[in-house]
Amino acid sequence: MGIRERLNRITLRWLSRRLPPARSITLEQRRLFIFPTGAGFLFILTLFIMLLTAINYQNNMTYGLTFWLAMLFIVAVHYTHGNLMGLTITAVSAEPVFPGQQSGFTFRLKAGGKRSGHYTVYLEWPDAQQVVDVSVGQDTTITLYQTVAGRGWFHPPRLRIESVYPLGLLRCWSYAQLDVQALVYPKPLRASDTPLPRNDDGVGGVSDMRGLDDLAGFRAYRAGDSPRHIDWRALARGQTLQTRLYSVPSSEEHWLDWEDFDTGSVEQRLSWLCWRALRLDASGDKFGLRLPGKEIPQSSGDRHREQVLRELSLYGITGHSGEVVS
Amino acid sequence: MNTGAALPRHALWWLIGCQFYVILPHLTRVPLWVLAIYLGAALWRLQMHRERVLMPPRWLRLLLGLAAGGAVIASYQTLIGLDPMVALLLVASALKLIESVRAKDGYVLVSLGFFIMTTQFLYNQELPVALYSVVGTLLLVVSLIALNQRPSASISRREPLLALRMLGLAIPMMIVLFLLFPRIAPLWSVPSKNTQARTGMSGVLRPGDVTRLGRSAEVAFRVQFEDQIPPQRELYWRGMVLNQFADGAWRTLGWSDHPATERKLDKPIAVGDSLKYRIIIEPTMSHWLYAMPYAQSPTAGVFEAWDFRLAVRKPLESTFAYDVVTWPESSLQPELSPWRRETELALPGNLNPLTREWVERQVNAVGNGPELIARVLSYFREQPFYYTLQPPKIDDDDFVDQFIFQSLRGFCEHYAYSFVVMMRMAGIPARIIGGYQGGELNTLNNTLIVRQFDAHAWAEVWLDDQGWVRVDPTAAVAPERVEQGLEEALRGQEGFLADSLLSAYRFRGVSMVNWLRLRYDAAAWQWQSFIVGFNGDEQVELLESWFGEIKVSWFVAVLLGSWAVVLAPLIWWMNRSRSSSERLLVEEQFAALCRALARRGIERAVGESAISLLVRAESELPAGDPQLITLRRLIVELYTPINSSVE
Repeated sequence: MGIRERLNRITLRWLSRRLPPARSITLEQRRLFIFPTGAGFLFILTLFIMLLTAINYQNNMTYGLTFWLAMLFIVAVHYTHGNLMGLTITAVSAEPVFPGQQSGFTFRLKAGGKRSGHYTVYLEWPDAQQVVDVSVGQDTTITLYQTVAGRGWFHPPRLRIESVYPLGLLRCWSYAQLDVQALVYPKPLRASDTPLPRNDDGVGGVSDMRGLDDLAGFRAYRAGDSPRHIDWRALARGQTLQTRLYSVPSSEEHWLDWEDFDTGSVEQRLSWLCWRALRLDASGDKFGLRLPGKEIPQSSGDRHREQVLRELSLYGITGHSGEVVS
Repeated sequence: MNTGAALPRHALWWLIGCQFYVILPHLTRVPLWVLAIYLGAALWRLQMHRERVLMPPRWLRLLLGLAAGGAVIASYQTLIGLDPMVALLLVASALKLIESVRAKDGYVLVSLGFFIMTTQFLYNQELPVALYSVVGTLLLVVSLIALNQRPSASISRREPLLALRMLGLAIPMMIVLFLLFPRIAPLWSVPSKNTQARTGMSGVLRPGDVTRLGRSAEVAFRVQFEDQIPPQRELYWRGMVLNQFADGAWRTLGWSDHPATERKLDKPIAVGDSLKYRIIIEPTMSHWLYAMPYAQSPTAGVFEAWDFRLAVRKPLESTFAYDVVTWPESSLQPELSPWRRETELALPGNLNPLTREWVERQVNAVGNGPELIARVLSYFREQPFYYTLQPPKIDDDDFVDQFIFQSLRGFCEHYAYSFVVMMRMAGIPARIIGGYQGGELNTLNNTLIVRQFDAHAWAEVWLDDQGWVRVDPTAAVAPERVEQGLEEALRGQEGFLADSLLSAYRFRGVSMVNWLRLRYDAAAWQWQSFIVGFNGDEQVELLESWFGEIKVSWFVAVLLGSWAVVLAPLIWWMNRSRSSSERLLVEEQFAALCRALARRGIERAVGESAISLLVRAESELPAGDPQLITLRRLIVELYTPINSSVE
């Protein structure tokens, strides 16, 4: 291991201790770093030349202006620092995508304090950047895109938050390791030699009213209802806890079964199943999924597709709880 | 991060405006084509912004730079000296504007702007310049803020207000630093200013020279007396001593014109009461200072010359403050050396035969003592001499003959010239003194404002036992000149202040204007006396008067202590808006709310989910309960599944 690599690792360890991951991060004193920019050093050089002028010409007004600007620099340290301090960044959502696509991560920014907002704040990953103004009392939402790799959970790199506002002489920055992850589906692959899935006629899963397609209505929350069906929008407005109900259209029914395939590696099988699931979903047919130790009843619709894809994505990945709500 | 970012659109407008603002006061000194270059550059840059023209290619910019440098050299004949350097700086900053397309170029322009403003101080540290520069600083800081706005942000009141607040916060610490920063001696010698002399007295006097000054209301110097101000007719500010007449002009003798034995001053004995006063003089570009004789100065760098003048070693290029003690009753040079006598009696050849004849007649009658002087003065008084700013021009070599027998119309230098020639003809050592007489009293702060039109020429004659004695022949012709000033003496004539059409001095008949004018002048005095006079000595004096004897450790402690005193409130002030409850993490807020609910009997069981807690809370609390609503909001913030959209 090279020295640089070791240093990097030490820095990262130190950073993650200092800035532990969380869903929501408020920038405070100990999270912020500050250092002069190139323009800041140019400014300091100018001040130095002005000081020499003042000394050599014994010119008091030049002394005065030099000191005034030097003190402006000190004031700017506090202002630049203050421009990020109190800013709260919350990870809102991450788009599930297929490998090689870009996932959009949405963040909500909220101004701290009551008086001044946060101006010209840059949020960046190594290959993505956004700049925002966050005014007081007005949450701002931004989306940053990141190209994802293989199946499973994708954890984006640390988010760099930085600003040189107001004078551009100092750069204040922080890193946020936000507890956010994007689901990456298996790569859909068509398997030419695979048999068509068996047609499973007979028992329909219609009796289960928790279909996921068309909103049919609401009822009061009952213990055991999935948090996915909670009406979060209403809750955010301060209304009572409600569960959404969905109706289900009927059509042909299929089973996607791990056991349908007898060749291929795990990843290949998942990719084939994925391709098939997408096909069936596109045709509007009902389908279910059987994986070793897991079965999803037959259903259809966007929600169902997502559930199926999610199971495929997370198959064999340890520590997958399936739910985020505690 | 954004070093390669483009220069924001309205930052460009601010920068162009700032540049024009800082260049403007230099235009009185630099050639006008510098302004033309600046305007050309600004126009080009704006056309670039409108995409009508492109940025000139690199070779053309280089060529423009070289051409401009060449033009500076051509018009100043040199690059050494402050003036060509400032011109070069202005041209460079104008040309930089053309190639400023990135945000980082904006910072270079702002730095140049601050530096250009500084060079203005080297010429002038007066109050208006200070006020002008405060506004300039504000504009430059607004430009900095504009450079850092989001490209799409619009111009609002916020940027100027922010700049104002930041600069305001910097002031207390600036004052501390200004007072405590040690004033050290120049580290190396710097290029001097080679601006042509300003209006004012010079070392050569021709008839008509002082007359010209009567047309200007510019301030020459200001005087503040410690006690009583002497009456107007005693206020003779002695400056030039003109001892040698040649080629129609009177000249002052320099150090090298004196033989070695004459270079040293034999100090007069201080006699009688003394007057103490402080003078702040505008740059004169010469060595000589003005004072009432016999004068000594405790100010560092001021010395007494062989002819009882005060002088400084380097020509005065900027405003200068010095303290003076005058003993009016001391006699100057009671013993006259043979060389000195010979010099002060010398007259070229056989000029002015009529005058010589007239003088010889008088000497035969009354001898060459004080009676002769009285006789000459009464001649001036009794003949129809006329005191005027517009005398007829006399080109004749026999100037005195022409003046005292034919034209009889002249200004102070005509009378002084004639009088000194007559004295020398009679064998009385005499010389012309150039300086100022009188001044305007500002009762608001007991200062005297001496202006260029107060310029005056009179004579000094050497008498046995008395030394050099002042004689003012003008007073014989126009006594109101020395009693009440020039304006009174010239009542009903044209020419007075002809060059100062807009000077506030012209409008002092309006009492409101006059009060404002004097009020302003008092403020200007305050400013000058502080900003110009504050040097190492004053600093030590001031600090010692506050803290007693200064030790290095003390100095450091005071510097750091004052910073703590000034910085601590500042930091508190800036952070006060970030109230602590706002900074709480959502998690902390949730935990606090759980504790509050527990006190109301809704306790969260170990391992109980937040949703379950909410269900219980909903059943137990009334629908509109504020804590219930907060609980819902916090649960949404904390537990919305990542893949569910809240929007």
